[in-house]
Amino acid sequence: MSDILKIEPIDNWLKKNNWSFYNHQVETVKLSENGFDVLLVAPTGGGKTLAGFLPSLKDLINNKSEKNKLHTLYISPLKALTIDVHRNLTSPIEDQGLDIRVETRTGDTSAYKKNRQKILPPHMLMTTPESLALLLSNKESKDYFKDLKYVIIDEIHVLVNSKRGDLLSLNLSRIHSISPDCKRIGLSATVKNKETVLKFLTSKNKAKILNVKETSFPKIEILETKTRVPWSGHMASYAIEDIYQKIQKSSLTIVFVNTRAQAELVFNKLWQENDNNLRIAIHHGSLEKEIRRKVENLMSLGKIDCVVATSSLDLGIDWGDVDLVIQIGSPKGISRFLQRIGRSNHKFDEPSNAILVPSNRFEYLECLSAIHSIQNKLLDETREKKGSLDVLAQHVLGVACSEPFEVDDLYNQVINAWPYRNLTKTKFLEVVEFVKNGGYSLKHYEQYSKIGLNKDKLYAINNKSVRNRYKLNVGTIVESYMLNVKLGNKTLGQVEEWFIEGLNEGDTFLFGGRVLEYQSISNNNIIVKSTSHTHPKIPSYAGGRLPLSTELSIEVRKLLSKKQFWKNFPNQINEWLKLQSKFSNLPSLNGLLVETFPRLMSGKKRFFLICYTFEGRNANQTLGFLMSKKMLRIGYKPISFVATDYALAIWSMNEVKEVNSVLNEDLMLDDLYEWLEETPLLKKNFRDAAIISGLIERSIPGLKKTGKQVLFNSDLIFNVLKKHEPKHLLLEVAREDSYRGLIDLDRLSEFLKRIEKNITHKKLDRISPLAVPLILEINRQTIDKSEMEEYFLEELENEMLSEVGLN
Amino acid sequence: MKVINFNNHKFQISKEGILFWFDKQIAIIADLHLEKGSSFGPSGQFLPPYDSEETLKKILNTIKDHNIKKIILLGDTFHDKNAISRMSKKVIILFRSLIEKYEVIFILGNHESKFEIGQINFLNEYVIDDIHFIHEALQTSVFQISGHFHPVATVKSNIKKITAKCLLHTNNHIILPSFGQYTGGLNITNPVLKPFLNNETKIYMLTKKSIYKFTSKEIEM
Repeated sequence: MSDILKIEPIDNWLKKNNWSFYNHQVETVKLSENGFDVLLVAPTGGGKTLAGFLPSLKDLINNKSEKNKLHTLYISPLKALTIDVHRNLTSPIEDQGLDIRVETRTGDTSAYKKNRQKILPPHMLMTTPESLALLLSNKESKDYFKDLKYVIIDEIHVLVNSKRGDLLSLNLSRIHSISPDCKRIGLSATVKNKETVLKFLTSKNKAKILNVKETSFPKIEILETKTRVPWSGHMASYAIEDIYQKIQKSSLTIVFVNTRAQAELVFNKLWQENDNNLRIAIHHGSLEKEIRRKVENLMSLGKIDCVVATSSLDLGIDWGDVDLVIQIGSPKGISRFLQRIGRSNHKFDEPSNAILVPSNRFEYLECLSAIHSIQNKLLDETREKKGSLDVLAQHVLGVACSEPFEVDDLYNQVINAWPYRNLTKTKFLEVVEFVKNGGYSLKHYEQYSKIGLNKDKLYAINNKSVRNRYKLNVGTIVESYMLNVKLGNKTLGQVEEWFIEGLNEGDTFLFGGRVLEYQSISNNNIIVKSTSHTHPKIPSYAGGRLPLSTELSIEVRKLLSKKQFWKNFPNQINEWLKLQSKFSNLPSLNGLLVETFPRLMSGKKRFFLICYTFEGRNANQTLGFLMSKKMLRIGYKPISFVATDYALAIWSMNEVKEVNSVLNEDLMLDDLYEWLEETPLLKKNFRDAAIISGLIERSIPGLKKTGKQVLFNSDLIFNVLKKHEPKHLLLEVAREDSYRGLIDLDRLSEFLKRIEKNITHKKLDRISPLAVPLILEINRQTIDKSEMEEYFLEELENEMLSEVGLN
Repeated sequence: MKVINFNNHKFQISKEGILFWFDKQIAIIADLHLEKGSSFGPSGQFLPPYDSEETLKKILNTIKDHNIKKIILLGDTFHDKNAISRMSKKVIILFRSLIEKYEVIFILGNHESKFEIGQINFLNEYVIDDIHFIHEALQTSVFQISGHFHPVATVKSNIKKITAKCLLHTNNHIILPSFGQYTGGLNITNPVLKPFLNNETKIYMLTKKSIYKFTSKEIEM
C-alpha cells in the first residue's frame, strides 16, 4: 500500500519498524492532494496524527519548499499535545535525516525562541489557538503566513462549541485571507454530529469527512468492592484497597478523577496503601509545569506504574503503554468517557480495558448507564454555539494591531468563520465601536480611542501601547485569581484565591500529593510548611465538574424505571431502590417525582421539597433558583437549596402544600429574565466578557487585595451599566453565556415541557431513602439574593440578641 | 435609620451610608471618589462613565426630604486631581446643584491635593462642638468622624457568608463606609483597622433594605 504514497523517507522509516500505512492515512493524502479539506474522524490510536501530517510531509519532501518559510501550522487545544506531537514527528524526520524543521510555540516558549522563530520560521509550527492569535497580531504576520500550505487542527471536536473555538475560527478565516490556497485537515475523536465539526473546520465546498470505524470494543466493568458503595460523597475512599489491587496487576494504569481535589485525595490514599512501593504519580492542571513534564516523561519511559490524573491527561497524548484505565466517579458523559478509555491500549485494533468506580449510589446507576450506552453506541451530542461578541472584540483589536483594516473587508472575513456566519453588519459595527471607545451612547472616551480611522480611511491602532496591552490580554480563558503555593523558595503550584480565604493559620491541606500546613499569605504567595499531619483539610475546587449529559440522564431514568434491570444490581443498591419504592415512589422515565417532608435543621423545623429531575447540575440549579423565587413570592420563605446531577432539594420555613403552585412552565420562564438580572452568574459571566473583550485588563492591579486601597470590582461596573445602558454589548454577551452555560435553559425548557401534567407528589412524614444522599450532600450552596440575605441577617441578629437576653 | 449616640449628640445612619446630624441639619458623607470610572480611560480601559452621576443622584435623593442645610464631605470626594475636567455635562450640573442647594464642606483626602482641584476650598479638618471631621482617623482621644478606610464586614450564619459596607462606632470614633458608586471595600479584619476595633466597637452593616448592628465579637475576625 505504501507505494501509493511515494514518500520515500517515510516509507523507509515505516519498513524499518515493520509498519505500514493505514487506509485512512492514504485516503487523507489523496483527498488533500485533490484539493479537499479533510475531517478525519477516528478513535484514538488509529495513527490519526500522522495521517494529518502526511500530506504536508509529502509536499515538503517532494517539492523542496523554500527555506525559512512557514509551511505547516499545527494547532491543538493543549500545550502538552503540541510537545507530544513534536516529539513523535521528530522521530521519523531525524531517523531519515530530513531537512525539515519542526518547532513548538506556546505560552511556555521562551522569549528568545519566539524571537528566533519570527526571524527564522520553522517549516512546521505547533501551537495553541491563543499563541496563534498572538502571532497573527504581529505587524509582520501577513508576510509570515503568506506561504502557509497546511493547517492541521487536532482534537477539533473539543473546540467547536467554545469561546476558544470562536477565537480559532476567526483566526483561521484571517489565515485564509492571507493565504487562500492553504488546506485544512481536522482531526477529531468519534462524535455524533460530524457535519457540524466539518463546517467548523472549513467553509469550502470541497471538503470531506473520513470516518474510521472502530474495530474493537472496550472492555468495561464496574469495580467489585468488599465494602459497600457509600450514600454520598465524591471521593471513593471506600474502594482504595480494591483499586490498589488492580493497579498492582497492570503494568501502567491511569486513574482518572473528575476534580483536582479528588486527585489529591486518591493519590494520598493510594500511597497509604502502597506496601509494595509501586511508583504512583499525580498529574493535574494546577501543578507546576516542570512537575507535570517530569511525570509525562516518566510515563513515556515506562518508569511509572500508575498516574492519578484529571482531564489534564484526557486528550490524545501518547505517554507510554497504558494497559488499564480506572475512572473514579461517573464520567458524566459518554463521549468523554470513551476518550478516557481510549488512553488504554493506545493501539487501533486491540480492545481497551477500563474499570469504573462509582463514588456514591446515584453514581452507581450512572456508571451502569454509561456502560450500557457504550455497548449500544449512543454518543453525546455536540451542541452548536453562536460566535461570542466579546471574542470578536478581542479579534478586531488583534487585527488592528497587525495592520490597518477596512470595515467591509474585515466583516466579510469574520462572517466566513462558521460561528459568526449569521452575524449582521450592524452588530459587527457595534463591536467595532466598542473596541474604539467602549461603545457607550455617552461619548466620553473619544479622546482615548484605541483604534481610529487613518488617512487612508482604514482603522488602525492609535498608539503602540495598544498592541502591547492587547498581547497581555489575549485568550478566552478567564481564571479565578490564583495564588502561588510556596514551600521555602520552591513554588509548588497555584490555588484559587477563594480557597485560601477559608483557611486559618495551622490548617492543613493536600497539594501536589503532600500535606501542607498553611502559615501565611504575602503578596501573591501562600507560605506553607511540610507537616506530618495525616488528616488534611482538602482543597475542593468547584470548577472542572461537568454536568451529567442529557443522553446519559435518559439512560439513568430508564434504568430506574424498569425493575427487570435491577436484578443485575448489587444487593445494597437493589435494597435501597426496593425500600424507596415501598416507602415513596420511584422516578419514572418521563414524569417527575416530587417528595416533601419536614426535617430538623440546626435545631429548627424546616420543610424539604425534593425534585428528582436527573437533568444535570446546571439545569437543576436554575430550577432551584426559579422555584425559590416563586416560593418567596408566595410566602413559603425558602431558605436555600442544593442541586446535584440527579435532583434538587429546597428547604423553606413554611410547607409547600401544592407543588403545582411553584412548578409550572409558563410562570417559571416569565421569571427567568428578571431573575437572571440578579444572579451572581450573570455577574460572573459579565466579568469574563469584560476581560475577554478588553474592558477590564487581566492584570488590573486593583484585583490584588493589598493595603487599604479599593479593589476594582466588576460587580460595581455591572450595576451601573445595567442601569444606564441595559442593552450594552457586554451585557448581551453575559446574558447569552448565562442562558447557554450554567443555566442550561434549553434543557430546562425541554424538561418542563416533558413533565407537564406528569408530576407525582409524595407527601412524606420523614426523609425517603432516595433523598438520603441529597440531604447528606447539602453544603454551602445558597441563594445569593438580597431578599434571602435579609432573612439570615434577621435571624442571626435575633439569635444573638436572645443570647444576650435582649429579645 | 439607626440612632448612634456620640459625644452626647444624637446621630442617625441611613442604609445608603449617609450619617445625619438632624439637630444641626447636617449630612455627613465619605469617599465619593467622583470620576473613578473615567480615570482608567487614558490607559484604554473604558469603564461605564456613569459612576459620578449615580453617586451624586443618590446623595440628592437621600437627603432631599430631611431639611438639611449643610453637607460635610469627609475627603476623597474626587478620585484624582483631574476628576472635574473629565466630568460630563450632566455630572457638572448635578454637582453644581449640590453646592448651590447646600453649604458643602470639603475635607481634604489623600486622593486630592489642596490647590489643584477647581475652585474648591479644602479643609484639613472641621470642628463642631468638639467633634472633629477629618479624612483619616487618628489614634487620639479626640472625638472624630472620618472616612478613608472604606470598611466592609463579613458575618457568617450557619448557612452562608454575607459581606457588606459598614460603619464603625467606638467611644470616640465614627468611621463611615465609602459612598461612591465605584468604591470597593476593605474588610475590617485588615490589620490597619485593628486600632479601632475593641469590645466596645459597634459595627453597623448596611444592606439594600436595612441596617444590622453587631459587636466585633459577633463578626468573623
